[in-house]
Amino acid sequence: MEELIRAVDLKKYFKLSKTEYLHAVDGVHFSIKKGQTLGVVGESGCGKSTLGRVLIGLIEATSGQIQYEGTDLLKLRPAQKKEYHKKMQIIFQDPYSSLNPRLSVFQLIAEPLISNKVYKTKGELVDRVGYLMEKVGLDQRFINAYPHEMDGGRRQRVGIARALALNPEFVVCDEPVSALDVSIQAQIINLLQDMQEEMGLSYMFITHDLSVVRHMSDEIMVMYLGQCVEKAPAYELFKNPMHPYTKALLAAIPQPVLGARGKKEIIRGEVSNPINPPKGCRFASRCQHCCDRCTQEDVMLKEVENAHEVACVLYK
Amino acid sequence: MEQTDKILEVEDLTVVYNTDAGTVHAVNGVSFSINKKETIGLVGETGAGKTTTALSIMQLLPERTGRITAGSVKYRGEELLTKSKAEMRLIRGECISMIFQDPMTALNPLMTVGEQIYESLDIHNERKKSPKELEARVDELLELVGIPARRKTNYPHEFSGGMKQRIVIAIALACEPLLLIADEPTTALDVTIQAQVLNLIEELKEKLSTSMIMITHDLGVVAQTCDKVAVMYAGEIVEYGTLEEVFDRSRPHHPYTIGLFDAIPSLTEERKRLKPIEGLMPDPANLPEGCHFHPRCHQCLEKCRSGAVYRYEEGTHIIKCNRMEKGVQDGRVD
Repeated sequence: MEELIRAVDLKKYFKLSKTEYLHAVDGVHFSIKKGQTLGVVGESGCGKSTLGRVLIGLIEATSGQIQYEGTDLLKLRPAQKKEYHKKMQIIFQDPYSSLNPRLSVFQLIAEPLISNKVYKTKGELVDRVGYLMEKVGLDQRFINAYPHEMDGGRRQRVGIARALALNPEFVVCDEPVSALDVSIQAQIINLLQDMQEEMGLSYMFITHDLSVVRHMSDEIMVMYLGQCVEKAPAYELFKNPMHPYTKALLAAIPQPVLGARGKKEIIRGEVSNPINPPKGCRFASRCQHCCDRCTQEDVMLKEVENAHEVACVLYK
Repeated sequence: MEQTDKILEVEDLTVVYNTDAGTVHAVNGVSFSINKKETIGLVGETGAGKTTTALSIMQLLPERTGRITAGSVKYRGEELLTKSKAEMRLIRGECISMIFQDPMTALNPLMTVGEQIYESLDIHNERKKSPKELEARVDELLELVGIPARRKTNYPHEFSGGMKQRIVIAIALACEPLLLIADEPTTALDVTIQAQVLNLIEELKEKLSTSMIMITHDLGVVAQTCDKVAVMYAGEIVEYGTLEEVFDRSRPHHPYTIGLFDAIPSLTEERKRLKPIEGLMPDPANLPEGCHFHPRCHQCLEKCRSGAVYRYEEGTHIIKCNRMEKGVQDGRVD
């Protein structure tokens, strides 16, 4: 399968003061094939949302490369960049705050079409908006409704219609179902899968919910404090998690099955400070297998088994 | 489970909100009871009436709009609904206390966390302990929830989300209440922190012999913490039973319960497509006739569209569904 996007040593540091930098994304490598989904999991503050935004150009990268079908987007002039950014869209987490409350559904979905001048007549625009609404399962009677008149699931459908308006090839889904109830969440997940199949989309699916990411992804990347600690095909990652953080994450999820009652083994402590982080493995302070080597040298991502990469000194 | 005294009995609780858009039927005839040391889970989606039920027990409903129109809430046999405001104030915090969903907004940003814990001890200071003794108790409580006592002079913004929730728990447990109501206590937290907080709650419950109402939308959290489960939909308990009865998939269940389980992606088994519950939660100002779930139900019968709904009862397991009536059809569904 052909590769669509490749990120090489991608970094985003936010400058806080002359000497302090927040390492939001710190040297991440990955590639996404056409029609496939890369899941990105991690807890709040691990840099997964920043990564998604850097990728589609909403935040400027500090260094590294983003190759779109071989072209490095970070080296292009703004006008050239714009062409590529049409093909790359994003669906945001919170359908309550990501839609302009003063625009109707029609205006919201038409907005990307208008600003990119992709239609010739008014009739064409109306047709296209109608088509998109049908696609995402929004009844035509909502065409003049405002966001506050709709529930979360319908609002998220508007967000999806906006993202799909320009026929993108790549969509970053940034926690698209986290704000929704479970029964609605399943509707939206199915819709995203249908759209992927129909339009041949590639997704980067960002979430903190491991069961959702397992369901959606072909490959999964686990992030901790701006770095990728483990990357593997979805099936493999759940069958054979290697990094102590991945294991801890999996163990921490409460399972809706009998026999789960009672206390669990858990990792102690909280995510440490991403400002000027010390050398070595960033998970070391919470890790029960931590040894001297973990804090003395930076730990690189290595392929341990076929397509299964881990950044941990435990694995050679 | 050994037979123990009942801490709380809720009988036929009915709550309405009077709004501009009409009368909202938030809770419609909810009944359940909690024994000593027991945890009951109230599960359901947004708008199911979980939080309203909790607020009614505490009598913290918004005064202008919320009204309890029927039912009774008994705390150790004593009716709470007829109590005066002053009497309720003594019960809240002392006998029943609550942990709120969002630790970021539950704490006062202008008071140090030590002062906030002290406050609740001071209000319920019947034995007239000296300020020094209370101060010592504050230190003890902070250590109990795993925060060094020296941090009591810090303000809420100086703590992370997980630590703030620990402080909220310390405040709730300050007077060693017999009943703790936890309203989505871990929803705003990351999974690893959620696991820590759930463990802490479990540990403290054990230590203090507290009973608990766990309000959540997460069936995983229920499986980990609860003895009994009440599944709520549109202000009603549609299924009620022990954890084993509700989670054992070989038993009959309410179609909504089955829908909830099917809608979550599994960590262990491969599923190509999820089975969502079609449609939306009904407008509580305009509930459908008959069974409130019937417009979304795959197995809706003619008789579900109007009239009373059959109540199936087997031991402690209760299901409100016409499908469960003998002669209609076996309630088992795949």
